[in-house]
Amino acid sequence: MKPVMNISKAPSPSAGPPQAGLDPLGGSVGVLNGRRAPLITVDHVNKNFGAAHVLRDVCTHFNAGEVTVIVGASGSGKSTLLRTLNRLEKHDSGRIVVDGIEVCDDLKELDALRSEVGMVFQQFNLFPHLTVLENVTLAPRRVRKTPKPQAEQQAMELLERVGLQAHAHKHPFALSGGQQQRVAIARALAMAPRVMLFDEPTSALDPEMVKEVLDVMKQLATSGMTMIVVTHEMGFAREVSDRVLFIDQGRVAQDAPPEEFFGAQRNERIRSFLGQLSA
Amino acid sequence: MSILPLRLHSPWPATWSRQQRSSATMAAAALVLLLFLWGMAIPLSAAPEPIGNNAQLFAEGTRMTVLLTAVAGVAGVVLGVLAALGKTSKLPPLRWIASAYIWVMRGTPLLVQVLFVYFALPVLIPALQLSDFASACVALSLNVGAYNAEAIRAGLLAVPKGQIEAARSLGLSPGYTFIDVTFPQAFKISLPPLVNNLVALLKDSSLAYAIGVVELTNIGNRIQAATFQPLPILLTSACIYLLLTTVLTQISNAVERRFDVEGRVA
Repeated sequence: MKPVMNISKAPSPSAGPPQAGLDPLGGSVGVLNGRRAPLITVDHVNKNFGAAHVLRDVCTHFNAGEVTVIVGASGSGKSTLLRTLNRLEKHDSGRIVVDGIEVCDDLKELDALRSEVGMVFQQFNLFPHLTVLENVTLAPRRVRKTPKPQAEQQAMELLERVGLQAHAHKHPFALSGGQQQRVAIARALAMAPRVMLFDEPTSALDPEMVKEVLDVMKQLATSGMTMIVVTHEMGFAREVSDRVLFIDQGRVAQDAPPEEFFGAQRNERIRSFLGQLSA
Repeated sequence: MSILPLRLHSPWPATWSRQQRSSATMAAAALVLLLFLWGMAIPLSAAPEPIGNNAQLFAEGTRMTVLLTAVAGVAGVVLGVLAALGKTSKLPPLRWIASAYIWVMRGTPLLVQVLFVYFALPVLIPALQLSDFASACVALSLNVGAYNAEAIRAGLLAVPKGQIEAARSLGLSPGYTFIDVTFPQAFKISLPPLVNNLVALLKDSSLAYAIGVVELTNIGNRIQAATFQPLPILLTSACIYLLLTTVLTQISNAVERRFDVEGRVA
């Protein structure tokens, strides 16, 4: 089965036989279970950087198939919250459970968790010494032990999806920022993750490249992927998200659907935040 | 960059890729080195006395110098990687061991180290009575390893943190993260100082002379003692060293070019 299919709700005639853990329609089991158990639970999580208390008793959850946008002022702790979900930051207290796996220090569990959680960074972080194709195939080959021809075929399908199949044999330095970020998305998708984390994916891009990345993300959202996106792109939040989390001084200050969040906002702090963005 | 004679006319077919050119240079330089080691006595024997009649000895000495450099060079890179890993480790004991090793090997003269391994080590531990060649290899490896460690550590530290985060977030284990992501990038950064150390090692191998290893400098000295003609003999030795370091530099330039996917090496 192609990794593309794992994240697509639509049945495809070209899909192979369903694998264990995937329902015949191609959606992941989590989508079905989503109403019962959230995919990610964050329970009373605290995090300090020295004296700075960046996350204060954060409690929330993320359902399968849902697109959540996390917004907030710079330094509010939104990126830190995202990074605790796959242990790029350690939380000091509280519990985080992702797809039944508790986020902890056990290396085996951590590697298992991380291969289910895709991450896209602000600075792309492509491996500069590898070609685009090698960037995308590295993790499936090493972690999933996918044979090289199969991994390359899957990678080419993903690169086609993000519109970069023609660049497969180039090195990252030869690509524009927007193209690099799309490769980074394809690289994360190659592990067929249950959830994708985006840490300000368009903040390092020139304005004309923001759209091509957002378009790929929209397409991904339509396919049913569970997404958690830290961003300042309010248009994306309004249009694509199912839910907006506003983080203020390490707390979830508001958790609302986008219509409500961008509509008659009653919270003074959020009104002024949104006002500054549109100014 | 090609070997000197090739550079006079346009060196490469236009269709050759960077990697093909790099491979061709490495192969050509390695071939030149082997031919030189194997056949150098032939042109040397045509030289007037005292070089011509001692051509075989010069050839033997050169082979020994190259052998010392090759053995200590490879062992030195391995030691350097291990010590660099130790020094960047999260475990304090590993850091201490690596730091102490680098501290001692960089802080004492190589000549003392060579003499120590050959003469003093057997006094401490009788089982470690090594031959002159083995002693020189051990001392040179340990010495160049300490310098390599700092070069490689600088490379490791220069790899951006985001690279490791990206690799780990894909589910790659710490081992694969090192093999596939950190080390190749660190090695590329470390390459120029590593080559520096290797060239220094080639010349420092002359200190093996002190414990009687029959390498190039030792040969030169012996012939000089018999003929009392320092000028031609030392000139010959120096020229051979220069030729060896030139070939070495060509090979390492080609290696550097191979890693240079961005085309930044002029």
